[in-house]
Amino acid sequence: MIRLEKINKTYFGAQPLHVLKGIDLHVEEGEMVSIMGASGSGKSTLLNILGILDNYDSGDYYLNGRLVKDLSENQAADMRNRTIGFIFQSFNLIPFKTAMENVALPLYYQNVSRKKRNQLAMEYLERFGLKEWADHYPNELSGGQKQRVSMARALVTQPKVILADEPTGALDSKTSAEVMQILRDVHQTGITMVIVTHERGIAIRTDKIIHLKDGVIEDIEINNPDAIDLNSEIK
Amino acid sequence: MDFWQEIFMALSRNKLRTFLTGFAISWGIFILIVLLAAGNGLVNAVSSDFSDQSTNVYMIYSGETSKPFKGHGVNRSIMFNDKDIRFLETEVKNVGKVSPRIYRDGFATFNDKSSSIFVSGVRPVFRDINNVKMLEGRFINELDEKNSEKVIVIDESVRDKLFDEGFSPLGQFVFVSGVAYRIVGVSKKMGDSNGNGYVPFSTLKTITRQSQYWMLHFSVIGLETKEDNEVFTEYLRTQLAHFHEFDPDDTSAVYIRSRQEEYLQTMKIFKTLQLFIWIIGFAMLISGIVGVSNIMRITVKERTNEIGIRKALGAKSRSILASIVTESLIITTIFGYIGMWLGMVVAEIGGGILEKIQEGKSVTLNIVPTIDIRIVLMATALLIVCGVLAGFFPARNAVKIKPIEAMNYR
Repeated sequence: MIRLEKINKTYFGAQPLHVLKGIDLHVEEGEMVSIMGASGSGKSTLLNILGILDNYDSGDYYLNGRLVKDLSENQAADMRNRTIGFIFQSFNLIPFKTAMENVALPLYYQNVSRKKRNQLAMEYLERFGLKEWADHYPNELSGGQKQRVSMARALVTQPKVILADEPTGALDSKTSAEVMQILRDVHQTGITMVIVTHERGIAIRTDKIIHLKDGVIEDIEINNPDAIDLNSEIK
Repeated sequence: MDFWQEIFMALSRNKLRTFLTGFAISWGIFILIVLLAAGNGLVNAVSSDFSDQSTNVYMIYSGETSKPFKGHGVNRSIMFNDKDIRFLETEVKNVGKVSPRIYRDGFATFNDKSSSIFVSGVRPVFRDINNVKMLEGRFINELDEKNSEKVIVIDESVRDKLFDEGFSPLGQFVFVSGVAYRIVGVSKKMGDSNGNGYVPFSTLKTITRQSQYWMLHFSVIGLETKEDNEVFTEYLRTQLAHFHEFDPDDTSAVYIRSRQEEYLQTMKIFKTLQLFIWIIGFAMLISGIVGVSNIMRITVKERTNEIGIRKALGAKSRSILASIVTESLIITTIFGYIGMWLGMVVAEIGGGILEKIQEGKSVTLNIVPTIDIRIVLMATALLIVCGVLAGFFPARNAVKIKPIEAMNYR
């Protein structure tokens, strides 16, 4: 599903910063992997490249069998919209839209009719137990509810890949465990999932932990998430 | 359809932002229009004050020769006749209307009251040439002139001496040098000259049996500069010298006076004022544009986060740009027009109040704020266009930012 070959990325500032130094990475379809690393290890940059939110300098990136390189802005937008679902640490919900409208937004950019959009959005909200909260605005929701709204939004387009950037970073440990459980459930439906985190408690709940250090993959740890007690403390 | 629903939702859900942006625009246009109207009111006031002298008027009056010419001696008085009038009316192209003037000095009496009066026999056009202002009734008209009616227009100083306050002199008969005239109008005083009366030229001509006229008044058109007027005066003198056989260099034979100086001065003041108003208006417009542009720029900056989120969710830059520009177009148009109408209403009401205050006063400073609707529309349109452009450029920059950076923008 995801294949990175010798990806290099340098930020050219006052001091050129070589953040990714020839990353080779392969994520199978339906796999759930996490990327761990200290801040500055390049994990956010890697996620941005995976999410086609940023470009890379050299190497090749294949997503769902397509080479992601030198895409026009519109092509990138289309591919993001149809292939990838994002979950962010800070939720990134639009404050003046209701939960339902936030979930329906990606479909708007697919030119799905309003009726169909709202119907689909409701379905996904229901799935995450937020049916009663559909007409609420983000500032009326708790952190866990917000993250569930953003998960519904990520899934509503039925993407191939879910990219999650510290999805539990802004949540307490109990809510974090709930969110991770939902992500695992989603993963069970066959969606490929990449989670960036710096918390070991999160990472051990994925199939593979990719340890990133100073722009290179240091180690890939194979996990058996089914073996751990899902109720154990995350933090 | 969906696009418009999105737009209106974004506007109505962000009521405060929409209102503040709109208010800035309404306010900018409102102030611009009110100040332009006030400026125009000032121009109107000044122009009505100057309107007594607002056209260039010539007077030719008789004098006596001081140089012998073609066998004529000196001290011969030169008077004008019907031939001169015809010449002016038909052969001199800059001359507008001509009124000869003859006069008779005397006393006007009504019942037991009397007043000294200087009666001029003039044609109806005299009123336009000399800007005679009527307080009551009318001036001499063509019918009076044609039928040599015994009618008279007196000025306010004569009225005040002959009639009690509140008693209308219209229709009353006054005696002037033994002739009864019916009063048809009361005029305002002309500058400092007191005790004037006007009767039809033909009437006074018959009564006094004059065929030689003391004075000719006429308006001129198209003499814009000092040089123009000098050339014109020279030409007139030469022609009159030819008709009446006097030396063209004899400046005391006839006197040619014009309001040229005052006229040119007035025009100069006018042009300066107009320029001043335009500069003020332009400065207002610029500050309006700056204000509107600023608020649009800030609005877009505020939305950088939202732009980033939308991009991450697969929005194309073009569609984000289109909705931002459409939103700003809607806000600026609606609120721009609100500001425009409010401005015009205030200008109108202000004008009405000022007119009321001045009603019935003998000396009026006619500050009536007026505004050219075309300028209003143009200024409003310009502000709208600038507002939209001011929204467009930062929006274009904002959609160029990478989604991640935009989402993290604080």
